Amino acid sequence: MTRIPLRPLARILNARASGENPDLIERENIARRHEAMRDKQRHQAEGRLVVMAVVFTVAFSVVGMQNFKLAATEPTEPRAAVSTSPIAAQRADITDRNGRVLATNLLTYSLYAQPHLMTDKERSASELAAIFPDLKEEDLLRRFNSSIKFMWIKKKLSPEQKQAVHDIGDPGLLFGPREMRLYPNGRLAAHVLGGTSFGREGVHSAEVIGTAGIERAFDERLRDPARPDPLKLSIDLTVQSAVRQVLYGGMKIMNAKGATAVLMDVRTGEVISLTSLPDFDPNDRPQPALQGDPSDSPLFNRAVQGVYELGSTFKVFAAAQALDLGLANPDTLYATKGPLTWGRYRIRDFHDYGPELSVTDIIVKSSNIGTARIAMQITGARQKPFLASLGLLEATPIELSEAPSGRPLTPERWSEISTMTISYGHGISTSPVHLAAAYASILNGGTRVKPTLLRRDAPQKGDRVVSQKTSAAMGGILRQVVSRGTASQGDVEGYAVGGKTGTADKPKPRGGYYKDRVIATFASAFPSHDPKYVLIVTLDEPTETSGTKPRRTAGWTAVPVAAEIIRRAAPLLGLRPEIEPDKAFEVTRVSSN
Amino acid sequence: MSYLEYTVKRTPSGLRKLLYLNWPLVILLAAVSGVGFLMLYSVAGGSLSPWAEPQMKRFALGMFLMFVVAMVPIWFWRNMAGLAYLVSLLLLVAVELFGSTGMGAQRWINLGFMRLQPSELMKVTLVMMLATYYDWLDVKRTSRILWVLIPVALILVPTALVLRQPDLGTALLLMIGGAAVMFAAGVHWLYFALVAALAGGAVTSVFVSRGTDWQLLKDYQYRRIDTFLDPSQDPLGAGYHITQSKIALGSGGWTGRGFMQGTQSRLNFLPEKHTDFIFTTLAEEFGFVGASSLLALYALIVVFCIATAIATRDRFSSLMTMGIAVTFFLFFAVNMSMVMGLAPVVGVPLPLVSYGGSAMIVLLVAFGLVQSAHVHRPR
Repeated sequence: MTRIPLRPLARILNARASGENPDLIERENIARRHEAMRDKQRHQAEGRLVVMAVVFTVAFSVVGMQNFKLAATEPTEPRAAVSTSPIAAQRADITDRNGRVLATNLLTYSLYAQPHLMTDKERSASELAAIFPDLKEEDLLRRFNSSIKFMWIKKKLSPEQKQAVHDIGDPGLLFGPREMRLYPNGRLAAHVLGGTSFGREGVHSAEVIGTAGIERAFDERLRDPARPDPLKLSIDLTVQSAVRQVLYGGMKIMNAKGATAVLMDVRTGEVISLTSLPDFDPNDRPQPALQGDPSDSPLFNRAVQGVYELGSTFKVFAAAQALDLGLANPDTLYATKGPLTWGRYRIRDFHDYGPELSVTDIIVKSSNIGTARIAMQITGARQKPFLASLGLLEATPIELSEAPSGRPLTPERWSEISTMTISYGHGISTSPVHLAAAYASILNGGTRVKPTLLRRDAPQKGDRVVSQKTSAAMGGILRQVVSRGTASQGDVEGYAVGGKTGTADKPKPRGGYYKDRVIATFASAFPSHDPKYVLIVTLDEPTETSGTKPRRTAGWTAVPVAAEIIRRAAPLLGLRPEIEPDKAFEVTRVSSN
Repeated sequence: MSYLEYTVKRTPSGLRKLLYLNWPLVILLAAVSGVGFLMLYSVAGGSLSPWAEPQMKRFALGMFLMFVVAMVPIWFWRNMAGLAYLVSLLLLVAVELFGSTGMGAQRWINLGFMRLQPSELMKVTLVMMLATYYDWLDVKRTSRILWVLIPVALILVPTALVLRQPDLGTALLLMIGGAAVMFAAGVHWLYFALVAALAGGAVTSVFVSRGTDWQLLKDYQYRRIDTFLDPSQDPLGAGYHITQSKIALGSGGWTGRGFMQGTQSRLNFLPEKHTDFIFTTLAEEFGFVGASSLLALYALIVVFCIATAIATRDRFSSLMTMGIAVTFFLFFAVNMSMVMGLAPVVGVPLPLVSYGGSAMIVLLVAFGLVQSAHVHRPR
């Protein structure tokens, strides 16, 4: 900076000569110098601020870009849990109730490379690419030539692939033994078994970790080296196969987008068969979808996680409770003139059933109004604990890792109108497994059973939910639903099927109900005079198109599918077809006292 | 006498000061902390305990302290800076002598009701001390060698103490934060170039010293650098954090899995999921959108601080505000880079979001200082 002299001699002499005060010139110059200094300082400070702002911006964009890059990478299923235990091999097998293998282990090999030991990287890369079409030669070569000392190439090899890689003969290509989980039956019982993935991976072994279903729920038990004995499930492989086959065909014929079937032993609570469609192959478990509705994913277990309004199948609980409390007997008449108005709500029936119906006929014809009147007599204060005693108000204890997410949806306030709508299955959502366990509890003589997937030999000794007499009467009523009611297509000769249909409109995601999408359910029991098994079949958005108009009600969709399942499965379960007991005898037995 | 004290008459007084607070900054701080509560709630599997609730209490305490600090005139804090610096220094020495050990390092002093981490305190008081120094120093002397060595000593003494704990991350943050204040004060850039060159030399010698008997860092520190440079070398050992958190960030995708749906962090795949690595939970559950929103919130906080630094015309206020902004910025920039695999894992929490007591309270008090500068700026 060139300094202006504060007192330039020439100007001062001039000023003196003209009689002005020379100090003014000095002051002026001092002010100018200060201004210059201040300007320089501000300039410098601003420069510094700009530099820092640039640094901030660069840092922000680097972090933002990395965030963008990571967000754009392919999602992978979560891996190992942190644990300090060494990688334990030999996971216990899983078998069906008769000891047939559902899940076992297979010894394979993994392939890894140590590029610094490799002799001919180009040749190895091109030969590997020829053996594994999904690997790219350039990619491999690039990684071989980078400075890493270790890289995985393939996690599982078939014996042929292993031999082929062996024949390349490169000392830098190495194999590690690796145990993998094998499900010999493929898609059969996929949702029960769930699946596994590799956890911590070492060169000499890899941890196999349950990621869903039984594999996850019993992960510790299956990994426990002290318990190498197989885990025995209640599933019957033969029955499961028959049920899945029939259900798959039924789902296609009825144009449904999903289906589920649960077959349960009413005394032991054992789930003999559990199928949810669409399903997947647990040997090659798909990645969980990030977009869309998770309940449309094949990984979704409709039988356990799918909580639906199951509609008229719930009427059975109102009738059973009314009989059990002595409020009615099967022949007691209730007014069914519609519509029934309650505040601003109106309850209607599918058809007009005339001025009054007996309890039996309310179930047989499926009258909403009649059931609502029964519920008003029961009152919500007694209805709620009864449904709770059947296990319908909490998640099922079934041994699947998904079970806790299948928590029923119930109204926050158990008002009078909810009491009435719940009695015919609206305003309460439960899973098919809930329904199976509740039907089993009512029909097995009246004691609570909890659903289980583990083989057990003795009946469950649960709390009493209804009396023996009520249980027998309900069996009779359910039989009449099939023999002369809404489920007439459900009759299977020799097995005295009884059951109750339910067709519920599907709720829209933003409130209200669809007019043309339903959940059709048939809850059945056989043989109905001495029920041994309960079968729940639920179809998601079925449409039966053989008639002039599309039909969606359960009687036309779920019931025939269930009947076909019973026709196939009952003999496999060891039930002998029998002549149905005389109908007159049935009626007198139920109504005589 | 500072320029400050001539302008007292124009600043608001009494409770009227509340009206003159930098309210957008208050709201931004609350928003970021709110994100933290949500994440801690989610990480605990949808429960207020054990993390979200204590964090909320600390936030309430911190906010209260922030308002108290903001009400007190900024020139009082300027006069206190030297004392505050000395106290923090003494606490650092105390932690060296009596502190309790956690995670292989000696960092805390137990005060009974909370565990104080003096290194956190130091980050703020160092900035205050340097700002006061440059406020006092004649501008013409800023770049003279003697007057540059004094602040360098002020920075290096606490840095050395923190390094002894050992806490490499905080030591680096202290150094860079202090250097930023010196840079903003206008110290000649040749000094910085010199230091950068020396640092380069030091890093080289650190690597050269490895394995010899004059090894400069601990083995675990070398391992961290190694795994940072190539996480695939040891995916299940030291590289575990980075690999897992990258997977988590990737699995969040663009919009994430949804609140409480994160798997990586909720299924215990990630250690430290509620402290240093909480950003992965956010990125997994709310995806790219959520992560960049948080980044935007942080950026806004820094922008508002810089705006305050420009609006306050005295050297102390603007340097201190700038320094606090830089410190805050370093916190989250280092944390995010570490989680995303851009920087080695050095224990730096995500400010206001990670679970942790003294960090949150100290930060809010620091923002109280910024508020005080904002309220008492000359008008």
